[in-house]
Amino acid sequence: MSTAPAQDVEMKETPAPVAAPSNSATSAAPSALQHLKEIASLIETGAYAREVRRIARAIRLTMALRRKLKTSVVSAFLNFALTPGSEPHARLSSYLPKEDDHEMEVDTATSVVQASVKHSLPELEIFSYLLVLIFLIDQKKYSEAKACSSASIARLKNINRRTVDVLASRLYFYYSLSYEHTGDLAEIRGNLLALHQIATLRHDELGQETLLNLLLRNYLHYNLYDQAEKLRSKAPRFEAHSNQQFCRYLFYLGKIRTIQLEYTDAKESLLQAARKAPIAALGFRIQCTKWAVIVRLLLGEIPERTVFMQKGMETALRPYFELTNAVRIGDLELFKSVAEKFSATFSVDRTHNLIVRLRHNVIRTGLRNISISYSRISLADVAKKLRLDSPNPVADAESIVSKAIRDGAIDATIDHAKGWMVSKETGDIYSTNEPQMAFNSRIAFCLNMHNEAVRALRFPPNSHKEKEIAEKRRERQQQEQELAKHIAEEDDDEF
Amino acid sequence: MDPKLTEVSQYFERFKAACVREDIDTSANLLSQLKVLLTSFRSLPPLFEVTPNAVQELTIARDIYEHAVLLSVKMGDQDAFERDFFQLKPYYTDARKRLPRSPQEHMILGLNLLRLLVQNRIAEFHTELELLPAESLEDPCIKHAVELEQSFMEGAYNRVLTAKQTVPNQSYDYFMDLLAKTVRDEIAGCSEKAYDFLSTNDARQMLLFSSDNELLKYINEEHPEWEIKDGSVIFQKAKETAPCKEIPSLQLINQTLSYARELERIV
Repeated sequence: MSTAPAQDVEMKETPAPVAAPSNSATSAAPSALQHLKEIASLIETGAYAREVRRIARAIRLTMALRRKLKTSVVSAFLNFALTPGSEPHARLSSYLPKEDDHEMEVDTATSVVQASVKHSLPELEIFSYLLVLIFLIDQKKYSEAKACSSASIARLKNINRRTVDVLASRLYFYYSLSYEHTGDLAEIRGNLLALHQIATLRHDELGQETLLNLLLRNYLHYNLYDQAEKLRSKAPRFEAHSNQQFCRYLFYLGKIRTIQLEYTDAKESLLQAARKAPIAALGFRIQCTKWAVIVRLLLGEIPERTVFMQKGMETALRPYFELTNAVRIGDLELFKSVAEKFSATFSVDRTHNLIVRLRHNVIRTGLRNISISYSRISLADVAKKLRLDSPNPVADAESIVSKAIRDGAIDATIDHAKGWMVSKETGDIYSTNEPQMAFNSRIAFCLNMHNEAVRALRFPPNSHKEKEIAEKRRERQQQEQELAKHIAEEDDDEF
Repeated sequence: MDPKLTEVSQYFERFKAACVREDIDTSANLLSQLKVLLTSFRSLPPLFEVTPNAVQELTIARDIYEHAVLLSVKMGDQDAFERDFFQLKPYYTDARKRLPRSPQEHMILGLNLLRLLVQNRIAEFHTELELLPAESLEDPCIKHAVELEQSFMEGAYNRVLTAKQTVPNQSYDYFMDLLAKTVRDEIAGCSEKAYDFLSTNDARQMLLFSSDNELLKYINEEHPEWEIKDGSVIFQKAKETAPCKEIPSLQLINQTLSYARELERIV
C-alpha cells in the first residue's frame, strides 16, 4: 500500500476502538467472509458464462450480508479478490478506516494461508467497489463514500460489458445516495446526464432506468418540476426491468402530475406505486400514501378510514387523517387549525403548497352539505356557516355559490334581490336512464369476464400421457351422468 | 474600470433616463444596443466564467434585464415580458451565490406570477410557486399574487376586483386590468347559470360597469342570448322542461341484442 492517493489525508480516521472482543470478531468474520468468497466465485462463473442472472443473484446475496460487514471482513475480502499492492486494491483499502493492527495481521495471515487464484476480472473489481461503498454508507461515512463512488464512476466509463451493467446500476444508485446525504446533489447532475447518455448508447436498459430515476429524484429534490417533466417526456421508454425502479418511476411521475394539477393521472400513478411496492419498503409506501391521500382530497373524494389504519403507518399518517376529517366536514376553521398544528410535518413532506390548495375543496364540501340540507337559505347564513373570514362575507358567499353552481357542484339558484339560495329538488333518479346505464356496464363486465375465462381454459397438463384404467373411467362416467341428471332435474323444476 | 464596462454603464444611464421620461422608442433602441454589448461579457450566463469584473458585470446585466422587464410592462407586450423574464431568471437562481440580492427581485417574481394567472396558465403558476423558498412567500408582492389565485379558484371574484386597489406596485396595474376583464367574463358566465334574472342595477354593479350603456354594449357583444325586459336582465335558462322523456330506443335495442348474443354463447 505504498502508492496511496492524495485523498488519503482526509480519509484516514483515527483508529476506532474495536467494539467486540477480538475472539468473537474473528469467529464471526470467516462465515461472512466465506459467503463473500462464494459470491465472488458466483460472479466469476457468471462473467465467464456471460450470464447476467448469476450476477444479479450475487448482488441479492450481498444485500443479505450487509449487516454482517465489518472492516476486517471487507479488507480480508479485498485481499482475496484483488491482488494486494495493485492500484485498485490500494485505492479501495485507503477508503476503509484503519483498525487495530493486531486485527489486520490475524486476517492477512489467514487470507494468505488460503491461497486463492488472483483474478483480474473487471467484474470483481467493480464488485469490490460496490462492497466498500455499501459498507461506508452503512457506517455513515458519507464523505468517503462520495470519493469512493466518484472513483468508481470514473472506472466504469472505461468498461463496456453487459455483465457489469447490473453492478453498475447499483453503483449509480449509491453514488447519488452518498451525494444526497452530503447535500451536494446539484453537482452530479451533469455526470448523471452523461451517464444516461452512455447507457442509452450501449443499450443498457437497466442502467437507463436507474439513471432516469436518479435524475428525476435530483430535479424533484430541488423542486425543479418543469425540468423533470421535460426530461421524463423525452427519455426513451421501455418495459421495466426492475420492479423497484418501476415503483420509483411511478412515484416521481405522480408527484410531477400533482404539481401540474393533473390529479386523475397523479392518483393512478401514486396508487399503483403504493400497490406494487414490496411490503418491506414501509417508508416508501408511507410517502406514496401521503401524496395519494392529498390528491384524492383535491379530486373531491374522501379516502376511507382503512387507508390510514394500515399496519405501521398509523402515526405517520395521523396529520393527514385529521386533515381528511376537516375536509370531510367542510369546516374552514377546523381546516385552518389542523394545517397550522401540523405545518412542520407538512413542510418536511413538501406538501405544504398542496394543502393550501385544499382550502377551495373545503369550501365546496361545506357548500354541498348546506345545499343538501336546506331547501332555502339566506346568503348571510351561508357565509356564517362556511365561516369565511373576509371583510365582505355576503358578497363573497354569493360569488362562491354562483361559481359552484356553474361548475356543477351544487344544484341551486340564487335570488339576488331577496338574498336567498334556493336548492333544486333532486328528481327521482329511477325515472331517468341512469339505472339502465349502471346495469348495462355491470352486465357487460360480467359477460366480458366470462369470455376471458373461457379463453383461458387449458387442458390439465400431462392428461394425454396417462392411460385411464377402465375402473376409473367407469367411475368418472357415472359421476358425469349423475351430474347431467341433476341439471336436467333442476331445469325441470324451473318451468 | 474595464472600458467595455464603462461604455455599458453609460448606455445604461441613458436607458434609465429614457424609461423615466416614458420615452418608449428611445428606450427600446437603447435596450437592443445594450443587449448586443452584453454578449461580449464572458462572465454572464450561460458561460459563467470567473473574470475579475464578474460581480459588476453580473450586477449590471441583471439591472438591465430588470428594467427591460418593466419596460415591456409599460409597452404592454407580454411576449417581450416573457422573453426578458426568462433571460433574467438565471441571475436569480444560478447566480444567487455570486450576487447580493436585488431589491426588485420579489416584485418581478410577483409580476411574473400575475402574468401567468392572467394568461390562465395555472399549472406553470404552481410550478413557479414551488420553486420559491418559504420566506419569499411572506413578501407582500408574492403574497398578493398567491391570494389572488386563491380567490380566483374559489370564485370570490369581488375579492379579486377589490384587490386592484391594494396593488403593491404601480407596474401591476396593467395586469390587473387584464385580470379584471377575465373576471368579468367569469362572473357573467356564473351569473347566467346561477340567477334566473337580475335587475339592471345589480347586473351593472356585479359586472363593474360604470353606466348602463356600457352594460348594454357588453351584453350585445358577448351575450346576445340574454334578454333585457323592463329594467331586468333575464338569463336564458337551459331547456329544463322535458315532460316526456324520450326513450333512447336504438341504444336499448343494441344493448338487448348484445345480451342475447352473449347468453347464447354460454354453453
